[in-house]
Amino acid sequence: MSLLEVNVLSKEFGGLRALDRVSFAAEEGEILGIIGPNGAGKTTLFNLVSGVYPPSSGELSFQGESILRLKPHQISRLGIGRTFQIVRPFQNLDVETNVLVAYGHRYYPSLWKSGAPFRQPGILREVQTLVERTGLQPYTKQLARNLPLGFKKRLEIARALALQPRLLLLDEPSAGLRFEESTQLMELIRQVRDQGIGILLIEHNMQVVMDLCKRIVVLDHGSKIAEGSPEEIRSNSLVIQAYLGKET
Amino acid sequence: MAYRFGSEQGFAISHLLSATHEPMISGYLITICITIVIYAMLAHSLNIITGHAGQISLGHASFFGIGAYTSAMLYAEAGFAFWISVPMAAVAAGVVGALLGIPCLRVRDDFLAITTMGINFVVEAIFLYLPFFGGAMGIGGINLPRWFGREMTKPEYFVVIFAVFSLLLLLDRRMGRSWIGLAWASIRDDEQAAEAMGVDVVRFKVVAFILGSAIAGLAGGFYAHFLTFIMPQNFGFGQSIVILSMVVFGGIGTRWGPIVGAIILGVLPEVSRPIMEYRILIYGILLLSMMRFQPGGLLGPESILPRILRRPVYVLPGQR
Amino acid sequence: MLWQQLANGIAIGSVYALISLGLTMVYGILRILHVAHAGIYALGAYVGLLSFRLIGDFWLSLIAGMAGAAIAGYLVERFLYTPLLHLPRIAPLIVSIGLFTALEEAFRIVAGPHTLAYNARIGLGNFSVGSFHLTETQILILFVTFAILIFLWALLAKTRAGLAMRACAQDPETASAFGVNVSAVIAVNFLIGSAMAGAAGVLIGVYDNQVWPTMGSIPAYKALAIVVLGGLGNIPGTVLAAIVVGLAETFFIGVLAIPFPRDAVAFVAMIIVLMFKPYGLLGKA
Repeated sequence: MSLLEVNVLSKEFGGLRALDRVSFAAEEGEILGIIGPNGAGKTTLFNLVSGVYPPSSGELSFQGESILRLKPHQISRLGIGRTFQIVRPFQNLDVETNVLVAYGHRYYPSLWKSGAPFRQPGILREVQTLVERTGLQPYTKQLARNLPLGFKKRLEIARALALQPRLLLLDEPSAGLRFEESTQLMELIRQVRDQGIGILLIEHNMQVVMDLCKRIVVLDHGSKIAEGSPEEIRSNSLVIQAYLGKET
Repeated sequence: MAYRFGSEQGFAISHLLSATHEPMISGYLITICITIVIYAMLAHSLNIITGHAGQISLGHASFFGIGAYTSAMLYAEAGFAFWISVPMAAVAAGVVGALLGIPCLRVRDDFLAITTMGINFVVEAIFLYLPFFGGAMGIGGINLPRWFGREMTKPEYFVVIFAVFSLLLLLDRRMGRSWIGLAWASIRDDEQAAEAMGVDVVRFKVVAFILGSAIAGLAGGFYAHFLTFIMPQNFGFGQSIVILSMVVFGGIGTRWGPIVGAIILGVLPEVSRPIMEYRILIYGILLLSMMRFQPGGLLGPESILPRILRRPVYVLPGQR
Repeated sequence: MLWQQLANGIAIGSVYALISLGLTMVYGILRILHVAHAGIYALGAYVGLLSFRLIGDFWLSLIAGMAGAAIAGYLVERFLYTPLLHLPRIAPLIVSIGLFTALEEAFRIVAGPHTLAYNARIGLGNFSVGSFHLTETQILILFVTFAILIFLWALLAKTRAGLAMRACAQDPETASAFGVNVSAVIAVNFLIGSAMAGAAGVLIGVYDNQVWPTMGSIPAYKALAIVVLGGLGNIPGTVLAAIVVGLAETFFIGVLAIPFPRDAVAFVAMIIVLMFKPYGLLGKA
C-alpha cells in the first residue's frame, strides 16, 4: 500500500481540462518530483490532493483510505501538509505563533479543548524544537512579514511539519532563492525525508530536482507524459520536447 | 421604517427621570453611562463577528431585540426574575444565531450579510405585527431587578452591568490566548492558509457568530430592564447601522476600538442637539468615509491618531 | 381570476427583475454586494418625480430618472468602490451600507419625510377582457420592463460589447489579457444596472403613486434575496427568481390569503431554495 495513490485523476474548470487522467503513487521516505512546463497542472494537482477543490473524476487515497470528499482542514489533520507556491505565512503573526497555529490541529476538533490557553511550556518547547530544526531560531519572535524570503519558505515548512505529516507537498520551494539559500533548503528537505516523511516536490530548478528526487513524474498540459528515475527522465525525448516547445 | 431614535431616546430619558426622584444631573449622567455600557457591549459583540469571523452581521440589532423581548416576556408575562430573564435573553439570541449562522457560513460568506439584513426586517416585522409581542406599543412594565429585598437603584444597576461587561472583556482576553483565539487570528490573516493548517474555518466563524449574537442578546436583556419598556422600532435596521458605525469608527478587529466608538458615538448625540437630529445621516456618512479613507478605524494601524494612543491591535483581515 | 393574479405577479416580478439585475451584474463583475443600489433606485424615483413636476411629460421624466440613476451609479463605482478593490470585501460592503443609509436620510432631509404623489398621465388606456383588468400602469410596467430586458439580452448575447461584459464577469484578468478594457466594462455595468434601477423607481413611484425617503429599504434586502435566490451573478437566474418571487407574493397573499407579511416571502423563498440548492436556482460554485 502506497502512502498516496492518485488514480485517473481529472479536473476540469468549465471546459478547460487542467488535469487529465493522471495516475501515480508516492511512498514514505521518498521524494517524488512533479515537473512540467508552466500550466501543466502541477499546482492543480496539489490543490486536489490537499482538498482545496474536488476532482471532476478519479480517485485519491492516502494510507489506503479515500480522501476524496474531505475538506482541507480534515486532510491536514490526517497528515498531509503543504506549502504554497507564493509563500503564505500568517504575515501578522510571529514565527512561533505561525507554527503554533498548525500545532493546534490537535486541539481544534474539540471546542472544549480549544478553549485552553496555547502558551503552555510543554507546547512551546515542542514548537521551539521545530523552529530550531528548520533553522528559524534567530527569528522566533519576528513577524512573518519581516522575514527574508528564504526564511519565509522555511517557516512554511516548519508550519507544515507541525501538522505531524506523513506526506508533505512542497510547491516550488526554491523559487526566488539564491544558490546558497536553495542548497540549505534542500538539505532541510533531505532531513525531513530521512525521518520517513514522503514528499511531493514541484520544482522548476532541474538541478534541485535531479539531486533530490528518487523518482520523477512529468506533466504536460494536464497529462502525465513520463515517469521514472532522474536519468530516465533526463533522456526522455517527450520530456525534452515538452520543455522546448513544439515550434521547431 | 422609523428612524426616530431622537424622539425615543428623549422620551426614554424623560420617562426615567420622572420615575425616579434623583437629582436631575446625576440621574441623567447615570443614564448616559448605562446607555454607553450597553452600546459598548453591542459594539464589542459585533466586533467578535466582524473582527474574528471577518463577516458583517447587518442585522445585529435583531439579536439585541430578540434578547430584549425574551427578557421582557419572561419577566412581564411569565414572572421570572431578572437573574433568569437576562441570561435566557443571551441563550435565545445565541440559538437564533446558530440557526442562521450555521447554514449561511457553511455555504458562502456573502450570504451572511444578506441573511442578517433580511432577519432584521423579519424580526422587526414579527415584533411589530404579532399581537403576542405587544405590537407597535411593545412591552412595558419591566422593572429594574430586585436585590436585598428592594429594587436596585440606577447607580447600582450601572455597577452590575459594568461588572458583567468587564467579565466579558476578561473572557475575550482569555479567548484571545486560547486555541480558539489563535484560530481566529489565523482566519483573519489568511483563510485558505488557515484551512491548510488544520483550522476548521467554517466552524470557528460560526462560533464567533453565535458568541457575538448571544452577547448582543444579553445587552438586550439589560436594556429591557433598564428602559422598562421596549418597542419594535428600537431594533430595526437603523439600530444595526448605529452599532456598525461604532465598530467601524473605533476600528474593526481592535480590542478597544468598538468601545471607544461606543463612547464617542454614544455621548456625542446626547450633548449636541444637531447631532442627535441628523444622527443617522452622520452615521451613514461616517461609515462611508471611514471605510473609504481609514478602514482600520480610529485605533487601526493607519489611523491619523498618533502612534502612542494606539494599543497593539489586530489588523483588518487581508491587510498587509 | 387566476389570469389576473398571474398578470399581477408577473408585473411586480418584472419590476423586481429590473432592480435585481443591476445588483447581480455588479456582483458578477466586482463581487461586491451593492446595497446602495436600492438607494439609486429611490434616487431614480425622486429625479423622475422632480423632472415630471418641472417638465410635465411622463416619458421624459422616466428618461430623466434613468439618467440620474445611471450617473449616480457611475459616481459610486468610480469614487467609492474601485478605489477599495484591494481591500477585503467587507470594506466596499460597509461603504455601500453607509451610502445607502446616508442617501435615505438625505432624501428625508431634502424632500421631506412624507410620501409625495407621482401621478403621471401616461396616455395608454386601461385594458379589460371580462373580469381580467390591466390598469394603465401595469401595462406600462410590462411594456417598459420587457423592452429593457430585451435590450439587455440583445446587448449581452449579440454584441461585441456584451461579449466583453460576459468575459469580464467570468474572469477579468484573462479578459484584460485579451484586450478588453475592464474598467470601461465595469463602468458600463454600473451605468446600465443603475439606469434599470432608476427605471424601476419611476415605475413603482407611478404604480403606487407614492415616492418616499425609505422606499428603497424593502427593495434593498428583497433584491438581495432575489439575487441570491437566482444565483449570485447569474443574469437569467435573477430574472427567473424575480418572477418567482413576484408570483409567490401575489399568490400567497392574494390567492391563498395566508396571514404572512408579504415582504418576508422573498426572504423565506431564499432560505428554502438555499437549503436544496446552495448556490441559488441557477447558480454554480
